[in-house]
Amino acid sequence: MPPGALSDERDVREAYAAHAGELYGFAVRSLGDAGLAEEAVQETFLRAWRAGERFDPEIGSLRTWLFAILRNVVIDLGRARAVRPRPAERGVEPAVEPIDEALLGWQIEEAMRRIGEQHRQVLVETYYKGRPYAEVAADLGVPEGTVKSRVYYGLRALRVALEEIGYDG
Amino acid sequence: MTAERCREWRELLGAYALDRLPVGERAGLEAHLEGCAECRAELDSLAGIARLMPLADPERFEAAPSPPAALGDRVLAAIESERRASQRESRGRRRWRLGLALSGATAVAAAVLAIFLLGGGGGEGPPEREVAFHSLPPRMEIDMTLVPHSFGTEIRVYVSGVRSGTLCRVFLRDGAGRRSSAGSFRYRWDEGSEAVLTSALDLSNAAAVGIQVGKRTFEAGV
Repeated sequence: MPPGALSDERDVREAYAAHAGELYGFAVRSLGDAGLAEEAVQETFLRAWRAGERFDPEIGSLRTWLFAILRNVVIDLGRARAVRPRPAERGVEPAVEPIDEALLGWQIEEAMRRIGEQHRQVLVETYYKGRPYAEVAADLGVPEGTVKSRVYYGLRALRVALEEIGYDG
Repeated sequence: MTAERCREWRELLGAYALDRLPVGERAGLEAHLEGCAECRAELDSLAGIARLMPLADPERFEAAPSPPAALGDRVLAAIESERRASQRESRGRRRWRLGLALSGATAVAAAVLAIFLLGGGGGEGPPEREVAFHSLPPRMEIDMTLVPHSFGTEIRVYVSGVRSGTLCRVFLRDGAGRRSSAGSFRYRWDEGSEAVLTSALDLSNAAAVGIQVGKRTFEAGV
């Protein structure tokens, strides 16, 4: 895409079709509220459109640029929300996590959605649920060594998926 | 070190990076890592990912929420509305600049300039007339200003909220219902310009002004 990538309606439509789902997913995750997330995505595209001239594909992908904008929007919305009194009946305050940890966490989750079921399964069972390899192997009816090698290839697949979505180490 | 020999060790690297390799298997792997730079590099890379894993919530692995279908339209509408607002602002600035230019000139020069601009009218500004179009479709907007001249009527028109490239025809209608064309233009989404058209019909004889936008025609009394 040339500089000024979002300068007309068709560009905005294309960028929206390609990236809105992920942007929204991250916005929901970090703001914990679907309505605020919609606001954040709308504001992100509006800011991107205003600054369209400054987008330079030589520096990074459109996706990375949009995420950088969304990150700032989420920070702004988070601040606005922090000063707004919250009704007590809303219950427990959502845990506030630093935005960059949220972004990394979201990237891992998105990568997990992209890798194969077998790989995801062994990572969830052995790492997130902390189950012994032998037990998981028995459940799956495979040798324990196979579970270990799936953990290895699962991490490799995760690495590839992370690179795909713009994680640069 | 042969690749085949490394493979056996490598397949333990995931469990090792996640700190889940049984003690009994660790010693052998660590000895191999001492002597194999490639496996060490692979371990470093996997360990970088393993460090991020606690940040993820496994309950979110299944399906990501998707945005409501209407959000895309709202995004485009918000952009369109801001684009219109900034166009109006820049048109306002243009008029303002002209006003400043006039006030900056000497009184005599300004009077001469004014007479020149008005085509021999009085010392007053031309009685521009803003036209309001009612019952337009949602999101569509027509701003129109009529300016009387000795040669006819100047029509400045600004349309938004329609498909880029739409053909727009503008006309005046006299008291007897006869149309007098003021010409046509194409609406362009990304150009902040208004069209300036002219009809030979004198504004004082005009009863209505109309604009055909694509297949729809809108008229307003003058």
